Amino acid sequence: MSNKNEVLLIPKIELGIVVDHIPAGQGPKILDIIFQHEEMKDVAVTLGLNYDSKKLGKKDLIKLQMEYLAPEIIQHISIVVPGVTIKAIKNYNVHSKVVVHPPKEIKNLLECKNPNCITNSESHVGTLFTAVDDNIKQVKCFYCERIFDLDELDVVIP
Amino acid sequence: MKKDLISMDDLSVQEIKEYLTAATKVEAMPLIERVQFLPGRIMATLFFEPSTRTRLSFESAMHQLGGSVIGFAEKSATSVSKGESFTDTIHTVENYADILVIRHPGEGTARLAAKESYLPVINAGDGSNQHPSQTLLDLYTIQKDLGKIEGIKMAFIGDLKYSRTVHSLIRALMKLDVTDFTLVAPESLKLQKYFMSNDEPGKYKFKQTEDIEVAIKNCDVLYMTRIQRERFPDLVEYEKVKDSYVLTAAMLKEAKEHARVLHPLPRVNEIAYDVDKTKYAGYFPQMKNGVIMRQAILLKHLGVQL
Repeated sequence: MSNKNEVLLIPKIELGIVVDHIPAGQGPKILDIIFQHEEMKDVAVTLGLNYDSKKLGKKDLIKLQMEYLAPEIIQHISIVVPGVTIKAIKNYNVHSKVVVHPPKEIKNLLECKNPNCITNSESHVGTLFTAVDDNIKQVKCFYCERIFDLDELDVVIP
Repeated sequence: MKKDLISMDDLSVQEIKEYLTAATKVEAMPLIERVQFLPGRIMATLFFEPSTRTRLSFESAMHQLGGSVIGFAEKSATSVSKGESFTDTIHTVENYADILVIRHPGEGTARLAAKESYLPVINAGDGSNQHPSQTLLDLYTIQKDLGKIEGIKMAFIGDLKYSRTVHSLIRALMKLDVTDFTLVAPESLKLQKYFMSNDEPGKYKFKQTEDIEVAIKNCDVLYMTRIQRERFPDLVEYEKVKDSYVLTAAMLKEAKEHARVLHPLPRVNEIAYDVDKTKYAGYFPQMKNGVIMRQAILLKHLGVQL
C-alpha cells in the first residue's frame, strides 16, 4: 500500500493525535491500551494497518480525534510498545511530535510479579519501578528490589 | 535529614567502611563509656516474624548504649491481627520512639516504612530480600578474623535462593572487591541470576556446584545457611533438600589453615556440633559481633559521631 493510498484511506485531520511508526501488527495492541482508559471510550479512532514505511518496512498507524493525550496513556503505550511516534496535529499540520520510550521511573502502572512484595498486600501503596539498563529492558521494584524484564510485567490501570 | 538502613545496594563502599570503622571503635570502648551515648532515646522493635538473635542483639545493643526499648515480637500481639495495615502501624509507633527496627515476612516492607515515616528505619529482614545489619556484622567478622575482606575466596553453602543474608552479603562483597565465589546449593535452591549481575564483565567468578568438598578445599570463608522450611511453598520440596549439606569436623580436615565457618544462625543440622570446638568455627563470635555492629548502626542512625 502506498503513502498515496494512506492519504486516501486515512484522511488528514484538522486537530488530533497520531500514533505513528507502530511496528506492523502492534496497532491493535495500542488500540487495546487506549480503550483500557475510561476517559478514551468516546473518542473517535481510525486504525490503519500494514502501511509502507521507510523506517520499519511496514507500519501501523492510529489517529485519534482529540486534542490532548494524557501522560499516563502515553507512558502506558511507551511501556508496551516502545519507540512509537506520537504527533499532535493542529490545522492539518504536525504541531509537535515525540518518540516515546519507557521512562526511567514507572509509577503506579506496573504490577510487581513477586507475590511476596509488600505492594501486593498493601495495595494503597502503589508501585514504583526503576530502569536497570539504559535501554530500559529491565526494571527493578523499588520495594522488594526484584529485577524483571519489562515485557514480563503486567500493566494495571489505576 | 534522617538516614535509613534498608538495603546493601544503597550503600557506597565508603559508607560500608564507615560502619566497619565505627564498630571497631565501639568494640574498643569500655561499656561505662558506651552507656552514656543514648540516654532517653527509644528504639522500637517491630517484629512481624520470629527472631531470636536479631531482636535480642538490637535490644542488647540499645541497652548498652543507655537507651531503652519498646516493641513487639509477633504480629498476633498487635492491632495488625485486627486488620490494621502495615503503614498505619508505622504511623502509630513512630509517635513513641526515636528509631524503628523492623522485621517482616513481606519483601519491601522496610523500604515502605522508611518512605512513610519521619523516623530512621533499620531493616532487620524483609522476607527473602535484605538483612543489612546481618551483612554488616558478617563483614565485620570476616575483617576481624581474616584481617581483610578484599580478595578473599568466599563460599556460600545451602539455601542460596531464599536466604536474605546470602543475597545481602554477596552484593556487599562484590562492592568490596571480592571476586571469587563458590556457590554450593541443590538445583532447587540455587542463587537467582540477578544477584550475580554486574556491569564489569569478567571481573567476578561464580563457580556453581553441588559438591561441598570443592568449597572446603578452596575457600577462606564457608558461609553456611539453614534450609528454611518456612520459605518453601511446597513442603514436599523442603523434605527433598533439607539435609543436602551437613558440615562435619572430619570434612574440615581439607580446609585451609586459616579458613572460617560462618553462619547467620539458627542452625538445624547443617553444621554438626563437633565443628563447634574446631578452630574453624566462627559463628559464635559472629553473634557477639552482632551486638557491636548494631551499636555502631544505632549510633550512626541516631546522629552520634564517634
